[in-house]
Amino acid sequence: MTNVLAHLLLVDDEQQILRALKPALAAAGYAVATAETGHEAMAYLAGEACDVVILDLGLPDMDGKAVISRIREWSETPILVLSARDLEHEKIAALDLGADDFINKPFAVGELLARIRAALRGRERRFSTHAVFKSGDLEVNFATRRVALQGYEVRLTPREYDLLKALARYGGRVVTHRQLIAAVWGPTAQVDAQFVRVLVAQLRQKIEEEPSTPRILLTEPGVGYRLTPEDEV
Amino acid sequence: MARQWTMRRVTPLRGIWRYAAAFALVVCSTLVAEVVYRAFETDRLSMVFLAGVLITAVTLGSGPAYFAAATAFIIYDVYLVEPRFTFTMNSAEDYLVLFVFLAVAMLTGRLAGRVREAQGRAEVRARTAGALFRASEEFSSSDNEDAVCQALAQRIAEAGRGEAVVLHEGGSWSWPPDLVIPQVLMDIAARPAAAEREGGWRLRHLRADGAALGLAAWRVTPLDGRATDNPEDDERLVDVLVDMAGAAIARSRLAAERAEMQARAQTEQLRNALLSSISHDLRTPLAAILASATSLREFGERFDAEVREDLTLTIQEEAERLNRFVANLLNMTKLESGALTFEGVPFGMAEVVGRVVQRVQRRAGARELVISMFPDDLAAQGDPILTEQALANVVENAVRFAPNGGRIEISGRAEEGRVVLEITDEGPGVPEADLQKIFDKFYRSPATSTNQQGTGLGLSITRGLVEAMGGAVFAQARGDGRPGLVVSVILPGASA
Repeated sequence: MTNVLAHLLLVDDEQQILRALKPALAAAGYAVATAETGHEAMAYLAGEACDVVILDLGLPDMDGKAVISRIREWSETPILVLSARDLEHEKIAALDLGADDFINKPFAVGELLARIRAALRGRERRFSTHAVFKSGDLEVNFATRRVALQGYEVRLTPREYDLLKALARYGGRVVTHRQLIAAVWGPTAQVDAQFVRVLVAQLRQKIEEEPSTPRILLTEPGVGYRLTPEDEV
Repeated sequence: MARQWTMRRVTPLRGIWRYAAAFALVVCSTLVAEVVYRAFETDRLSMVFLAGVLITAVTLGSGPAYFAAATAFIIYDVYLVEPRFTFTMNSAEDYLVLFVFLAVAMLTGRLAGRVREAQGRAEVRARTAGALFRASEEFSSSDNEDAVCQALAQRIAEAGRGEAVVLHEGGSWSWPPDLVIPQVLMDIAARPAAAEREGGWRLRHLRADGAALGLAAWRVTPLDGRATDNPEDDERLVDVLVDMAGAAIARSRLAAERAEMQARAQTEQLRNALLSSISHDLRTPLAAILASATSLREFGERFDAEVREDLTLTIQEEAERLNRFVANLLNMTKLESGALTFEGVPFGMAEVVGRVVQRVQRRAGARELVISMFPDDLAAQGDPILTEQALANVVENAVRFAPNGGRIEISGRAEEGRVVLEITDEGPGVPEADLQKIFDKFYRSPATSTNQQGTGLGLSITRGLVEAMGGAVFAQARGDGRPGLVVSVILPGASA
């Protein structure tokens, strides 16, 4: 392939999932390698360049979380975790270990592609200094600390701004409660997740058209929040 | 011997008898003095009387000692001191003798009294310690509240030297066991009264962690009548016993609570395991279906025919898998509620087995399904559809554990009017101890990795279905020494 967007490694022990995903990912312009076990995945990563790892947490040979921490020992490759909706603690643990994002099973292919794009963007963002974040009508200028909605300035408290900035930095990827607390209150703060919920509610009042049905600042139940990135609104 | 002496001391003489005994001792002294007087013709016999006073003081205490001192002095003076048979108090010696007698009586009596008191206290302490030790042993060995209450009643009755009643949560215990429990105690137990006495009964509230549990009551048995030496000691002992019983009850409650919580945690664990297993088995085909369907919608135009065919096939297969899974779950529920009924009809076994193989073949991959030694006319009695389901579960299980390229054999034969089917695989087998457990609901072989498909329902459904048809199912290791499992399904033969 001449115009490959990125190289993906898909790790899942369920043949039927691999079979279902590979054609779509290929059609979307990605080069896809697959692995059925954690060891296979790590062996592949040791030898081949890879832009995003899509990892099922339930692998036959080892715990998916162990795979994440082993990969993180030497690689910063974005990791996208596939997990069941009801296993919040698994997802949080995976994110704390260094996974970049997760997607609930079952999922539509469009959703997976959006997460892959967000993961790739996050990787780019780490190496560049974007001064402006856009999501639909919302525009955040990190240089001037200006937040605008449909061009009109929105006044945020310092905490609200810190929260928005933290979410925008992850651009479309999930941010856990703990990460948000560290970003807003400081890394050593002992703050209840309840404070985050209150702050998010305040922020939604100011940036969402319909705060009860948010379209920009989305909740990931039990895990954290994510900001819809510019191209997905 | 010393032991016997102490035993005698346990029941000392009382009241007037002590003085009578003192008098007798003095008389004895007099007799000894008389003998000595006759034998040696000495009148220095005050020592003999002094000895009598000393013995009286040691054995009988202060009062009788003074009495003995006075009596001994008078007898000594009248009987032995010249002029004999007259009471004279004119020499300094007379006063000295009287003073010495009284001094000896006082000092020795007091000393002996103290020794006796100390001994008595030691006895009470020993009794208390013994009672507490026995009670503590009984309480800690009782694992239920009833046993604690019964032990408490007995121990209180012993400590209070009488009879005792324990009322606790509607139950009543007494010692002696045939005691009729007075209504008045029942009434008091019903309300939290602060009274410590009620018509001859002494009352204590049984408490655990500050909460009132019941009532303990005791009284000295009217028949015995005699008051105890130290009612305060007895009462203190009863207090301690009641406290200990309260603590024992609290402990037994905690133990019961803990056992219940452990049981609940185990149930919870089982339920979680089942839920995660079911959710995995439901979600995996759903994920494949959803991913395939959305892929087709999004990229259908760009896929070539082969890819489109593959994706639609995935959708079909996974939907079928979901359907089987749901059917199994439903069958399980039906089997458990007894709602599964069928009419037994004769049916050809070969045809059913053929359908099973056809059904499982596609998922068998590189594994070989072989029907061997199967009489064409083998017929069983039952429900062909349910039999197919039961057999399919066994064969699917064999496929799941067989290595790629492995061989799964299905054989059948008629035996004593019954149909015996054997499904033999080349999987890792099952530990001897677990062979029968594999048909239990949610049993999963240790060889199953946590993420391997399977709910642990399949074989339990097989057993449920087969037994509902009057058959049996069991598992054993392969007879030829190779690893693997043989599952035998036995069904009633067709009644010709």
